[in-house]
Amino acid sequence: MADKGKKKRYALVLDSKKCMNCKACVVACKAENGVPVGKFRNWIDEEKRGSYPRLLMTFDPGQCMQCENPSCVRVCPTGASWQRPDGIVLINYSECIGCRYCMIACPYDARYFREDLGVVDKCTFCVQRVDRGQLPACVETCPSKVRVFGDLDDPNGELQDLLSTRRYLVKKPETGNGPQLYYLL
Amino acid sequence: MERTLMDRRTFVQVTASGAAAAALASQLGCLKHFEKGKGGTEARELVVPTTCEVCPNKCSVLAVVDDGVIHKLNPNPESPRSRGMLCARGNAAVKQVYDPDRLKQPLIRAGARGEGKWRPVSWEEAWDYTAKKLSEIKSKYGPQGTVWSSTEGFQEVFFKNCGLAFGSPNIVRHPTLCLASVNLAYSATFGTVPAFDLVNADYVIMSGANRFEAIIIPDTMDLIGSVMLKKAKLVYLDPRFTVTASKADTWFPIRPGTDMAFILGMLNVIVGQGIYDKDFVAGYTTGFDKLQEHVQKYTPDWAEKETGIPAKEIIRVAHEFAAAAPRACYYSGRRSSWYQNDFQMRRAQAILNAVVGNWDREGGMVPNASIPMGEYLFMPWDDPTASRVDEIDKTFPLAAKGDGAYLKLRENVLSGQPYPVKGWMVYKQDPMNALPEQAKTLKMIDQMDFVAVIDFQMSDTAWYADVILPESHYLERTDPMEMMPGIWPAIVYRQQVVKPVYNTKPNLEIIQGLAKRLQISDYFDYTIDDWVKAQAKDIPVQNAFDYLQKHGVVVTPGFPKYGKTLKGDYRFITKSGKVELSSDRLQESGYDPLPVYKPPTEPQAGQFRMILGRRAYYTHANNTNNPWLHEFDPQNHLWVNPEPAQRMGIRTGDLLEVSSRAGTVRIKAHVTDEIRPDCVFMLHGFGKHSRWQKLAYDNGACDAQVLETSWDQVSGNAAFHETFVTIRKV
Amino acid sequence: MKTIEWGILIVNYLFLGGLSAGIFFVSALATYLQEDGQPAYPRIARYGAMMAPWPVALGSFLLIFDLGNWYRFYKLFLHFRWESPMSIGSWLLLVFTGITFAAFYAWLPEEARHRLFAWLPKRLAFLKRFDLDLSSWRRPLAMLGFPFSIGVGIYTGVLLGAVQSRPFWNTNLVAQMFLFSALSTGTAALILALSINRKSLDFKQIRFLYTLDICFITLEFFIVLPYLIHGELSVRAVQEALKLILGGPYTVAFWLFFMGMGLLLPLFVELWEMKPVLLARATMHHNKVLAAGAAFLVLTGGYLLRYIFVYAGQMSSFR
Ligand SMILES: Nc1nc2c(c(=O)[nH]1)N[C@H]1C(S)=C(S)[C@@H](COP(=O)(O)OP(=O)(O)OC[C@H]3O[C@@H](n4cnc5c(=O)[nH]c(N)nc54)[C@H](O)[C@@H]3O)O[C@H]1N2
Ligand SMILES: Nc1nc2c(c(=O)[nH]1)N[C@H]1C(S)=C(S)[C@@H](COP(=O)(O)OP(=O)(O)OC[C@H]3O[C@@H](n4cnc5c(=O)[nH]c(N)nc54)[C@H](O)[C@@H]3O)O[C@H]1N2
Ligand code: SF4
Ligand code: SF4
Ligand code: SF4
Ligand code: SF4
Ligand code: SF4
Ligand SMILES: [Mo]
Repeated sequence: MADKGKKKRYALVLDSKKCMNCKACVVACKAENGVPVGKFRNWIDEEKRGSYPRLLMTFDPGQCMQCENPSCVRVCPTGASWQRPDGIVLINYSECIGCRYCMIACPYDARYFREDLGVVDKCTFCVQRVDRGQLPACVETCPSKVRVFGDLDDPNGELQDLLSTRRYLVKKPETGNGPQLYYLL
Repeated sequence: MERTLMDRRTFVQVTASGAAAAALASQLGCLKHFEKGKGGTEARELVVPTTCEVCPNKCSVLAVVDDGVIHKLNPNPESPRSRGMLCARGNAAVKQVYDPDRLKQPLIRAGARGEGKWRPVSWEEAWDYTAKKLSEIKSKYGPQGTVWSSTEGFQEVFFKNCGLAFGSPNIVRHPTLCLASVNLAYSATFGTVPAFDLVNADYVIMSGANRFEAIIIPDTMDLIGSVMLKKAKLVYLDPRFTVTASKADTWFPIRPGTDMAFILGMLNVIVGQGIYDKDFVAGYTTGFDKLQEHVQKYTPDWAEKETGIPAKEIIRVAHEFAAAAPRACYYSGRRSSWYQNDFQMRRAQAILNAVVGNWDREGGMVPNASIPMGEYLFMPWDDPTASRVDEIDKTFPLAAKGDGAYLKLRENVLSGQPYPVKGWMVYKQDPMNALPEQAKTLKMIDQMDFVAVIDFQMSDTAWYADVILPESHYLERTDPMEMMPGIWPAIVYRQQVVKPVYNTKPNLEIIQGLAKRLQISDYFDYTIDDWVKAQAKDIPVQNAFDYLQKHGVVVTPGFPKYGKTLKGDYRFITKSGKVELSSDRLQESGYDPLPVYKPPTEPQAGQFRMILGRRAYYTHANNTNNPWLHEFDPQNHLWVNPEPAQRMGIRTGDLLEVSSRAGTVRIKAHVTDEIRPDCVFMLHGFGKHSRWQKLAYDNGACDAQVLETSWDQVSGNAAFHETFVTIRKV
Repeated sequence: MKTIEWGILIVNYLFLGGLSAGIFFVSALATYLQEDGQPAYPRIARYGAMMAPWPVALGSFLLIFDLGNWYRFYKLFLHFRWESPMSIGSWLLLVFTGITFAAFYAWLPEEARHRLFAWLPKRLAFLKRFDLDLSSWRRPLAMLGFPFSIGVGIYTGVLLGAVQSRPFWNTNLVAQMFLFSALSTGTAALILALSINRKSLDFKQIRFLYTLDICFITLEFFIVLPYLIHGELSVRAVQEALKLILGGPYTVAFWLFFMGMGLLLPLFVELWEMKPVLLARATMHHNKVLAAGAAFLVLTGGYLLRYIFVYAGQMSSFR
């Protein structure tokens, strides 16, 4: 990317209220990243409450949290799971022995096993796109623009803008993983 | 979401086909970018702007091609209509191109109809055979002995023209399954069908227009933004708790078929209390006095009894609506194939909108704008001499003649009156699923001497056809440009992204091969390039053709524009030149000049009303077989409210038998609070007959088998929500 | 967890690894303890040395078989990642397996060793020079093996206990529970071996094993208890995770089969058999069938413990 010298910290801010459960993000990811049928790098959780006619239904997109302190990387015996300086957690497929310890260690159940390749896989923040200055596929395609991707360390960036003016939460902070998906309230 | 194990079989199947293997390789190829230390990609990639075909929205796409294989479809941010999005279905289109189950070459039926035995043939043989059959029918019954049915699409024009040039008046298109009643109702009122400025509206009321699942661009994106950011209030009426209902400020689970009562109740308040837009009514409308008198009896208390919505809520909504006007809309909806009085219900909406003066103003209804575009001038043919078999002139005098009245057409074909029809040409349509009462559609096929289908996959209709002419997928062909009118008009272009993977052809070439053999090729004496270059001529950008090839979409500055029709002595395209609250033209044709409420038929004890609706990741019945979409809903279920379910001892997963006068299906129950106790619902597109749709074949149930035949009295639009079913645990 | 990723193969692996560790530990102890310059419990020592390598070898094979890419297992030994229990464990297991095989060799009776080498085909005849008497290595190997056997026993628990995202596992008690369970299953395996042997019983050696097993089971029991108590007093996520065994899908397996039949019943049997010794310092009266039965129950209990922990743990999660 253009300003190479500056340190970056990629993160995603989500405004789940706007999510319509349209699954565009899920299919876009599938197409972009060749995710096998039956496996998902991202997903939409549904919450339903109440009884007719007083009902509530909310949707909540999930995927790898690109943790600051990723337990998946920590437990990996071969170093196949690793983290880039910009925070993106990746898997080096040729080093992965398929022990799935990382899957078990991920508090967000963000990883899946690829039977066809015998390796573990997960959301990569679409590094192949991001490194070319494009947005991740799920972010770009979302009709209601639930997802905002950017550099957390950019003081003038959209993420800082949103996070300093809106209330938000992160998921399962108690695991100490330091998730980098911020959910607006 | 359930995350289940991958089906190894699917994987093997995909790799079995050469082209598909290449696609897979390119998708697996992306893994290599993540190896430690490596970054970026080689620039073998090509980006081709084109236009999505998976539903009528026509979103702008940037197709990324990697070594001749489509890797990914990205949204084209230049389109002011699709607003930089591509929905799940649009994204999944790649999968269709490389689907091992798609149609790969022309086929002629080898066994009995529906038996699924096919003989792969050359294009020459397929054309010869089709032309021979059509000519036989023509010599026996005249050209009117054929019906040409199709659904909108950029290449539909060639198909339609072929039917007309062949001499058949029986062109029948999808509007009478879809939006004929709403179009006719708004035209009857304003002389045109307006768009709704949802991005600027402060207050929106929707009757069952499930905009957050039934995607319409740019409405869906505009509305979700303004509703969730609290810029706009949304009042939503639907017997089902849809995604739209879940986002609305108010959801009324209205008694089905009573929307008109709600609207009339609102009109009673707004007109009666004088909170309408007096200037607009005085300046631009006719018939207000009649309306005033007409709505007097439709009090909120009366409306409460009909709709089940409390009178004080109706009064509240009426006040809020009038106060927010003109930045308020009672949204028209699109699929208005609901009830027998649908036209009049939509008329009531149009009138309600008119009296609050939300016409041609920011945040209200806005007449569609357009961008000039050229036209290819082809040689004209003589108009068909015979009258239409659906007798639309007599039966639906106000309806759009060119589109026909589908269900009436089917009745007449079945009865052989006024004349026999023995040939059926189908383009980009699946009548077996799109029409109610599938048994009748099957009968219609049965009594045909010849049926040919142009599709890219083995639809249920194709399954019963005699000849299948496989069209290239939209990503494999160049289509005519299209002007998309609206508040943000745009011209979009669909150009070839990859060469056809299999032995398929674009529709124009299919039609040309046929026309040659029918001796009408003079009328199709052009190439797609001639056609689009002629269209590009008048487009107000430099080198429009090159521009569209590069950008895929043309947008011109100056939109949105408001108020053009409010200036000087603008004449509305109605008989009176004004907005017609009361319509003389309707009266002259024997219809109510003002919407008169007729209560819906009541279900009898043990009966449920069956209603329809979309899901965001399927288009109609046509992509339940796409593995990337199918996995979200591996089967359809019958939604039943817990109250009747408990009464009948039905639990989720129980197998039910669902019967109506039209037919019986078996389907599993989904007991849910998200539907009224007097209604049931099932998703469209399952229980397929076509074995080439492996995922949807005989899986779940087909709604078309139970839906009964019924139509709107004025427009002839199918009335899909008039079916009552009984359910039984088996 | 939305899917169970570690299945029965991993259960077997954890069980077999622990079993070897336990057998080796007891055998090493028997080698180490001497009476008049001779091993005090020679049969235990020898049986243990003969038995110890096989479960762990089989277990490691199963682990490798469970990998998505089994042929890449060597990559485990191209890295040492101190943060990863699996990395540490693999190294531990490698060294431990080596030691067990060395001890096996050192304990092989001389004629068996000769016979083994006699089988060698001609081309491998040069290997014959390894036909050495290593009986003097027995004690040093036992001493070297102690820490590794304990390490392997602990590691099978740490592998789970170190996963901070699964509240069911995430307590240091799991490591100890697995260690004592390993030692107790190892002891039980030896009791079983000794009791099904046709040779007449040596009460001294059986008493030694019983004493050990009673200690191990008791210790295990007093780790399971605080595990439950701690868990119940811990944060919500842990409480919810414990529901899996306290009124959830694994309740019966845990209480009836593990706690009841795998822990308390054999403890009771062993105590009953030792009663004369404990109370009157008389020679115990020993029933082979009862002993074999108790040992079998301990082994099943140990297996169930791994099973329940592997499965229930994966189902647990923070909310
Ligand atoms: N039960 C029920 N019936 C309904 C509806 C409902 O909701 N429920 N909705 C109604 C409405 S609103 C509508 S608009 C109609 C739609 O009815 P249809 O137009 O029949 O619906 P689709 O499923 O979109 O398209 C039909 C066929 O077009 C094919 N096709 C798609 N793209 C191409 C192409 O590029 N070339 C060719 N040659 N073929 C192509 C598909 O493979 C499919 O077989 O259905 C109506 N009928
Ligand atoms: N994802 C997706 N988007 C699409 C399409 C698609 O197939 N898939 N198709 C496109 C096409 S062709 C069309 S026509 C449009 C259709 O878009 P819409 O006009 O929004 O049509 P439906 O989704 O069929 O929604 C009809 C809703 O009306 C409700 N309903 C039924 N009876 C009543 C009633 O009596 N009163 C009220 N108030 N509500 C009632 C139903 O429960 C259902 O939720 O969608 C377009 N967009
Ligand atoms: S694309 Fe956006 S709106 Fe659709 S499901 Fe994903 S996050 Fe939700
Ligand atoms: S969410 Fe899971 S997979 Fe992603 S970085 Fe965090 S621990 Fe690793
Ligand atoms: S499965 Fe692969 S990435 Fe995960 S821990 Fe094992 S080696 Fe590392
Ligand atoms: S960022 Fe990329 S890899 Fe991650 S979920 Fe979105 S599309 Fe998939
Ligand atoms: S809404 Fe979806 S399917 Fe329809 S045209 Fe747009 S991208 Fe294609
Ligand atoms: Mo439609």
